[in-house]
Amino acid sequence: MEIFAGSMVAGLLIGLLFALIALGLTIIFGMMDIVNFAHGEFLMLGMYTALLTSQATGLDPLLTLPVAGAVGYLLGIACYYGFVKFLLRGPMVAQLLGTFGLMLLLRNLALLFFGSEDRTIHSGILVNRAFDLGMGVVVPATKLAGAVLAVVAFAVVWLLMHRTRTGKAMVATALNRQGARYMGISTERMNGLAWGIGGATVMIAGALLVNFWSVTPYVGLLFTMIAFAIVALGGFGSIPGAFFAGLIVGLITEIPGFWDFFTYLTGSRWMAGVSMTPFKYTCVYLAYFLIMLLRPRGLFGWKN
Amino acid sequence: MEKLKACFDFSDLPRLDLTIAGLVLSALLVFPIFPHSSYAMSTVIQFFMFALYGMGWNTIGGYGGQVDLGLAQYLGIGAYTTAVSMIRWNTPFWVSMPIGVVLAIIWCFVVGYSVFRLKGHYFAIATIAMSLVLKDVFEVWKFVGASRGLEIPSTRFTSPDFLHLVFTNDTYYYCLILAFFVIGLLYINWFRKSRLGFQLRSIKDNEEVARSLGINVQWAKLKTYAVAVTFVSAVGSFHACYVKNIEPEDTMSLDLSILIALMAMLGGAGSLWGPIIGAGILIPLKSYLKEWLGARAGLVGIDVVIYGAIIMFISAVEPRGVWGIVQRVRRRKRA
Repeated sequence: MEIFAGSMVAGLLIGLLFALIALGLTIIFGMMDIVNFAHGEFLMLGMYTALLTSQATGLDPLLTLPVAGAVGYLLGIACYYGFVKFLLRGPMVAQLLGTFGLMLLLRNLALLFFGSEDRTIHSGILVNRAFDLGMGVVVPATKLAGAVLAVVAFAVVWLLMHRTRTGKAMVATALNRQGARYMGISTERMNGLAWGIGGATVMIAGALLVNFWSVTPYVGLLFTMIAFAIVALGGFGSIPGAFFAGLIVGLITEIPGFWDFFTYLTGSRWMAGVSMTPFKYTCVYLAYFLIMLLRPRGLFGWKN
Repeated sequence: MEKLKACFDFSDLPRLDLTIAGLVLSALLVFPIFPHSSYAMSTVIQFFMFALYGMGWNTIGGYGGQVDLGLAQYLGIGAYTTAVSMIRWNTPFWVSMPIGVVLAIIWCFVVGYSVFRLKGHYFAIATIAMSLVLKDVFEVWKFVGASRGLEIPSTRFTSPDFLHLVFTNDTYYYCLILAFFVIGLLYINWFRKSRLGFQLRSIKDNEEVARSLGINVQWAKLKTYAVAVTFVSAVGSFHACYVKNIEPEDTMSLDLSILIALMAMLGGAGSLWGPIIGAGILIPLKSYLKEWLGARAGLVGIDVVIYGAIIMFISAVEPRGVWGIVQRVRRRKRA
């Protein structure tokens, strides 16, 4: 039972952070129907930003969140006006391969500047602390803080999108671009803003993630695929969808734990012989594939 | 017989194209006779391989407009079939290659049957997801060497072994892949004028209209997918014999799938020469950058930075590739 509860809690906590990672992707997709392959690379840059800022200034890693957010916002805006704007005019193939080119560029620039070795954060108020939730479930403070702050960031973005004038204009642009333009909304500016918010949220997620996940220039692709799966499950362009789908995908990544639990429960010798650990993320890809086939709109999707 | 004649019939193309193609081909034919470094040789062999992969992608992605970003999984199937059967049962290449193609086609029907219902981005990402699943399976599957991969023991065979394709001299590999290349080119030349080729182009333009004209869209896509997969898997088998050391990471990775699509895209998707031009530009550039900037100057990753910048530039400025520019110039001249 302990292993079941442990997996459940771990899955939900990491799921909240996954949801924050996918948030930017779903906003961008909802606004302009473009799949951003470089999303995981933004996350990787966020992790490096947090890590290097805290190392250079001696600040606690948690205090680097605003820095990461600001860098992400600027980078997102720069990407939009410098590159994506031109991409939107072309066919879909060009959009797919173009953002893939951006991904290669960012990843290898990171490799060039930061080197390929694993880096981790060793200090800070959160590191090496844990809470005992009872039933033998111990939660590291880093993961807990990551999850809580992810929820806060999510709420802030949701409020921005639904309670402010600019946010409402963004939602209108996503719903109907032509109509929004008739209402005097500068859709071009909204696109740029969507990239800015997308970049900021994913970099904040990176700054939270780096507290318990070591960073290399190659870390991005895994999270790009996880974010794709979340966005597909939640429905392309849906913000609440991304939240709940993030939780589900978080639980999917804990499948090895559940597998052990059921092995123990049923006492099946066959199940004990199979190790699920290498297939942790394969399950995510497979889930993505199945969702696409069974319900391409996703759980909360409004775009076909 | 009619089909065979159609393969050799290039008469609908401008004479300038054919002259250039003929010159390039004859230059490639005599290339091994002249003195060359082994580095140049391996670059040209790479060029042929990627031109063939690109031609395969071009059938489904270029003519058919279905952007598949998971073709590397079939490359892996071909390569692994050949490597496993050669290591375990000494099977000749000429037997294991067709088996690999058949396996790849069976798998492509399994994947294709489900993914061809999706369109656009959804289709592209679903193919990626499936190829990553297959790669993860190969990473842990003990029978195929898991993540450490397989190595074909070249000492087991005496050097010019035409059955198992074990040569110490790269010229043999060169001649073989050149033959593959010519066959592939002739096949694509037939394909683009075949019934299926025209059906595909109409599917690309408008799927609903194509369906209303009585085209079985799903079946046409599946058939074309099988063609694309045949190309990729056959060359994948060759890759196994040529490189002799295969891992999931360098035969089935996403980067490879995208590189394949990029060949056709850079040259011009949906044209006969597109993948060849694309491979002709990208492969020498890639090995040059890697050798000079990466290895000599010690700037790890700079090659891919430039590479990524080129991809970004092409897709933002001229998404129809080099061939698109050529055609625009021609149209302006005529007008």
